[in-house]
Amino acid sequence: MPSHLNVPTKYWELTKEVPPPPIERDIKSWIIANPSDPLWDIDVLPLTYTDSRWSAFVVRVPDDARQRLCPNPPLKVWDGDNADLVEFWYVDHKNTMLGPYLEFGVTISATYKDPKGNVWKAGYYPYMYLTGDAPVDAGRVLGFPKKMSYIRCSVHGGEKGTDFFGYAMSRNGYLMHSATGKFDDKEVTPPFFYGKTDWGKFNMKVVTRPDVSSSEWQLTYLPSELPGEMKKMISGHRFQIKPEHTRTASGDAINWFMQATPFDNMGAELKITEVTGLISFVFDLVIPPAQVLWTETYERPASYRGYATPYKYGLRQQFPISQGS
Amino acid sequence: MGLQANEYSYPWLAEGEVPPLPLDRDRIHIISQGVADPVFDYDIIPLTYTESRWMAFVIRADEKAMKHIIPEPIQLQDDVIEFWYVIHKNTMLGPYMEMGVTFSATVDAEDGQTYKAGYYPYMYLSNDSPIWAGKEPFGFPKKAAYIAAFEHGTNNNYFNMLMERRGYVLHTANGRYSDKPLSARPTFYGKTDWGRMNYRITTRPDVSNSIHEVTYLPSELPPGFGTGHRFQLNPDSVRTATGDDIRAWYMSGTPFDFMGGQIPAKEVVGLISFTFNLIIPPAKTIWSKTVERGEGDLGQVLYSTPFKYTMRHRFLLPQYSQG
Repeated sequence: MPSHLNVPTKYWELTKEVPPPPIERDIKSWIIANPSDPLWDIDVLPLTYTDSRWSAFVVRVPDDARQRLCPNPPLKVWDGDNADLVEFWYVDHKNTMLGPYLEFGVTISATYKDPKGNVWKAGYYPYMYLTGDAPVDAGRVLGFPKKMSYIRCSVHGGEKGTDFFGYAMSRNGYLMHSATGKFDDKEVTPPFFYGKTDWGKFNMKVVTRPDVSSSEWQLTYLPSELPGEMKKMISGHRFQIKPEHTRTASGDAINWFMQATPFDNMGAELKITEVTGLISFVFDLVIPPAQVLWTETYERPASYRGYATPYKYGLRQQFPISQGS
Repeated sequence: MGLQANEYSYPWLAEGEVPPLPLDRDRIHIISQGVADPVFDYDIIPLTYTESRWMAFVIRADEKAMKHIIPEPIQLQDDVIEFWYVIHKNTMLGPYMEMGVTFSATVDAEDGQTYKAGYYPYMYLSNDSPIWAGKEPFGFPKKAAYIAAFEHGTNNNYFNMLMERRGYVLHTANGRYSDKPLSARPTFYGKTDWGRMNYRITTRPDVSNSIHEVTYLPSELPPGFGTGHRFQLNPDSVRTATGDDIRAWYMSGTPFDFMGGQIPAKEVVGLISFTFNLIIPPAKTIWSKTVERGEGDLGQVLYSTPFKYTMRHRFLLPQYSQG
């Protein structure tokens, strides 16, 4: 006789650490589908992080490359001090409401002037990659441009136990970037938005209709300060650096390789002229809901067709099959 | 001096192997974020599949338990469930592994019609692009998981499936095909008046509202693609196994994934496997509802204690093998 075993454990009935599925709750608490078992749920909120290690390469990128990556309208690239310094960063997230994960992103200083004349200043993310599905999706709800990739972050060794570093990222079999070296603790000039509480974060969200008849672009803004409801729960700035863990490396201490791939254009678009240094620090963080500052909808005709040819598979559709992590 | 190189060339572009770069296109050709380099792009349209291998367990579960996990306005048809794995070899989204559960269901829609369809409460995939290409526009309930599903041995007589996520095994099964008929099949099998349904929720970035939609994919081929069913099965490829041929079956609820706790199998009826081609057209919205949240409602969605991490936040660091 065959062995068939079902273990119907309902963890949400055993511990309050696991929220009941949305279908058993008030509909106002349903954030994403499916109501039987969403990819992430309300136990993600408020979204906090403890003892993450941020490792930010500071790279110089020419004005035309930055302009191209910041969609205009509605954004303009920052043209003030250190405008050409772009943050090219990895993060090792150890404790988060979305579980542990590794992350990579690029941040460009940009501004948006609203119809009332208010100027919003923020770091804008053209590229982001993560190792976990839930943080990708939770971020995409806020507009983050997240994809999944294979990422490695190592800060280890030497007298201090954090003297050497190694970072790598690949996707669909191609290496996108790798950097190695040793911290020399020399001074590194950061991107302009570092430490400024009047600078938030920008993202461009795209919401496409199920029939593909239109896509709405939404410029979203995360302020540096926490909004009302969360301020009642959490005190202080939402980004708390622990300065005793900070290490730096000058450009001369960094070995670096980056390339474009058929699946990811960052290596072709981000025309880096200089790797000026690396700043690595440990921090706690809170991510609040985002404001929508600007929207525009692009309509497609019923006859709309994309780029592909039915049943003909090209370079972008061929890569090693993954079985997931 | 550090050794440094940036390779900016993009030879695939000049040869037309990849679409024009997103930032060189009109915005109507951007269907997903990031707008500089989307997670799925317009070279997935039309979304076709060639020679995918579908391996569908047929199971029965408690009908009351099934009804319990279905939201309004979806109505359950019966207790027969399709519990399926797929090896996708050639798709506009690249190759990937997939697992899903399909209930037979109906919806009395806003246009006065009753729509009949397979409804998906759970889906898992191995790759990012097909997850968000299914999830964002259409509402497929996709998550990422480790999935192994294959046939092997003489005449590919043996099969094995395994799915794990965050260190917990959700399901595994293996056995040998006998090619005997099954005592039951899902209601929607082979019927062109039965489509597919999903429940999509789109939440505003400021969480002030969520739009709930039931989306519907018809079974018939979309205009411009001929006539007939959009799911083209190769009849020579069909293999079957009865419940007794499935030598091992294990399924469990986990702290991260509720399927095993919500719909444990009462009976494993058998397995039907086949090779097919497929096209997925745009979806129609047949029901919608907007749920507004005021400032006072935010307490309902702030379930956790800041900086306090629970068992749901503790699991192995995913390393993600798509690299």
